[in-house]
Amino acid sequence: MARISIDPVTRIEGHLRIDVEVDGGKVQKAWASCTMWRGLETILRGRDAREGWVFAQRFCGVCTTVHAIASVRAVEDALQLEIPANAQYIRNLILIAHALHDHIIHFYQLSSLDWVDIATIPKADPARAASIAEGYSNWPGNSRRELEAVQSKVKGMVDSGQLGIFSHGYWGHPAMRLSPELNLILFAHYLQALEFQRKACQIVGVLGGKTPHIQNLAVGGVMNAINLNSLATFNMDRLGMLQSLLQDLIPFVQQAYFVDACLLSASYPEWFRYGRGVANYFAVPDLPTDANATRFDLPGGLIMKGELTSVQPIQNWRDQSFRSSVAEDVTHAWYKGEGAQTPWKGETDPDYTDFQADKKYTWVKAPRYNGQPIQVGPLANVLVGYASGHPLTRKWTDTAFKTISSVHEAGTAAFHLTPEALQSTMGRYLARAIRSAMLSDLALQHWQLLTDNILKGDDTTFNPPQFPSHECEGVGMHEAPRGALSHWVIVDKGAFTNYQAVVPTTWNASPRDEKGVPGPYETSLIANPVVDPIKPLEVLRTVHSFDPCMACACHTFDSSGRAIARVKVL
Amino acid sequence: MSTERPLRRIAVVGLGNVLLGDDGFGPLAIEMFRSLYECDPKVEILDLGTPGLDLAPYLYDVDLVVIADAVHPREEEGPGTLSVYRDDDLVSSQAQLRVTSHDPGVQESLAQLRLAGHAPSEVIVVGVVPESCGLGKGISLSVLDTCLVAVDTIARLLVERSIECRRRHDPIQRNLWWRSGEHGRGNGFDS
Repeated sequence: MARISIDPVTRIEGHLRIDVEVDGGKVQKAWASCTMWRGLETILRGRDAREGWVFAQRFCGVCTTVHAIASVRAVEDALQLEIPANAQYIRNLILIAHALHDHIIHFYQLSSLDWVDIATIPKADPARAASIAEGYSNWPGNSRRELEAVQSKVKGMVDSGQLGIFSHGYWGHPAMRLSPELNLILFAHYLQALEFQRKACQIVGVLGGKTPHIQNLAVGGVMNAINLNSLATFNMDRLGMLQSLLQDLIPFVQQAYFVDACLLSASYPEWFRYGRGVANYFAVPDLPTDANATRFDLPGGLIMKGELTSVQPIQNWRDQSFRSSVAEDVTHAWYKGEGAQTPWKGETDPDYTDFQADKKYTWVKAPRYNGQPIQVGPLANVLVGYASGHPLTRKWTDTAFKTISSVHEAGTAAFHLTPEALQSTMGRYLARAIRSAMLSDLALQHWQLLTDNILKGDDTTFNPPQFPSHECEGVGMHEAPRGALSHWVIVDKGAFTNYQAVVPTTWNASPRDEKGVPGPYETSLIANPVVDPIKPLEVLRTVHSFDPCMACACHTFDSSGRAIARVKVL
Repeated sequence: MSTERPLRRIAVVGLGNVLLGDDGFGPLAIEMFRSLYECDPKVEILDLGTPGLDLAPYLYDVDLVVIADAVHPREEEGPGTLSVYRDDDLVSSQAQLRVTSHDPGVQESLAQLRLAGHAPSEVIVVGVVPESCGLGKGISLSVLDTCLVAVDTIARLLVERSIECRRRHDPIQRNLWWRSGEHGRGNGFDS
């Protein structure tokens, strides 16, 4: 039996360590450990509740916007404050642009090189690659000339022996199976993706006043002044600019990213058999279409034991069962105490003991829903939508399945997927692409809702908050790029007396709980193949499928600037 | 002061987490720079926090980038030491020798932009060695002292490249909202 320790796993914020025991080429046991201290919430205690979002958006450098939104929603919930429809639409457009940026960067920059072997690109035939790509999509970036240019850049890099940032890749690994042509297509889109990340940032900037840290939020709405007759405010010019940025961004999402995820799925069908893990899911409702948030364009719901027919809706943000069902367990986390507590009463009192696999081994708490571990993220979002008959989810999921079954490049028989089979490592990648295609359609719809509402003569964006002189509690929800996010606050006389963020990565990177039940990362790794323990590429594929981001799940600062990943075979 | 070459896209960016003591050097330097200097409007002055690989879109097709950041000490450098790193220092530093605290984001973003043909033609890091990066601690005195020198250094680097950058007669107000005691009031419960 080999024991493998990968530390750190993430290439962005924060530290995640994964330990696995491998026997007979398969993972038998796994532990997810966050190696940095959490405790950012303590900064918020005593602060003015109207300003919490400004601090919360510094929890993490990548998910800035999502914490800002969850924070204002939490305070609005505590005050039972309705916000104007314009404010909902402006927030929704920011959230969509942020999510598209995040999903694109995850697929290409953060995880595609687990599947794409750039070292084979010099062998590709660009003409053939162009004809393959054009067979699935009319994306203009698939031309032969474009692909030749990318190939020559890669050749230059490979010939010089200077792989630079790519020198850490597992090139030539037996688990890499794409043809040189598919590798070329996907890597061309990897480079093109940078331009579209920029477009997404520009959308956030136009609406939020500034990016990456938006400035336009307020408890009670947004601070965008709307006046169609003024040059200095939010007017038709801004709306036109937004529309044109969306029209530039959306084709990349729907014609390049979405199609690439389908090609990857068809080429690695066995990865729909690995990585299922915890099959309990929830997604919170998001993208409200009315002022008091009673209707949503992304449905919320709960699915237990992987049974899609069992879906129970979470109708809105005031759902009482959600509030009473969430608790965080510290039995295996480096905090004082044992057992579980509602986030409203949560404490963050550190008790570090070193990595002890059967005792405490991580800084991440174990959130549980009625005592059960839950998997959150785009997969939960898509499964809940599909199971509840949400038309847009069905449209894009069915399109993905149809595209995948039409792919014959991998030299295998046509591969037919079902929604149930999405519960897997590759399913998480595909669900993220399906969600991105949906969000692209929704971006145009919410742009239209905003425009129509303004043209109707409604220019309100803010309802001033009134703080009572007694204590009140609230939850702010957001279906963030990595899944369901909730901020739990207690506000007394306008200031926070407690603040807990239950973030998506806490649900997914959760350790074992008091009953010894492991969390989603840990469970998903069981039976995952590992061909070469020195190069555990397959473990990274499953962990990266969750899009791990530990900064807000734990404390963030990397003072040592360690190498990208250190693999230790124990 | 006039620009001899055609105007280009220039970005002065700060990296760091303002909630983590001296790690917030970059954002602090950006606010001080904005307050003390007036630049050609082509100069974007940005506090980017800790963007990781999300840095790339902000450096896309920018010609000159000056990054203010907390950096790892070289040899015997003590807290508050100011260093200016140029392209060569950045390229030559391998994975083991990180220049800034926020690598791999900086190195990887630049490498991707280079490969895509949209990288800045010049990158300069104005770095300060942190004293303490504890949660919720303010900037330490050694780093605060160096911050003013760092800001003047940024201005000098721009002027040397014929980019308009003048010290203001009357500094504009700094927005250091994260420093305790400087955040807004007026929720009706002030004592």
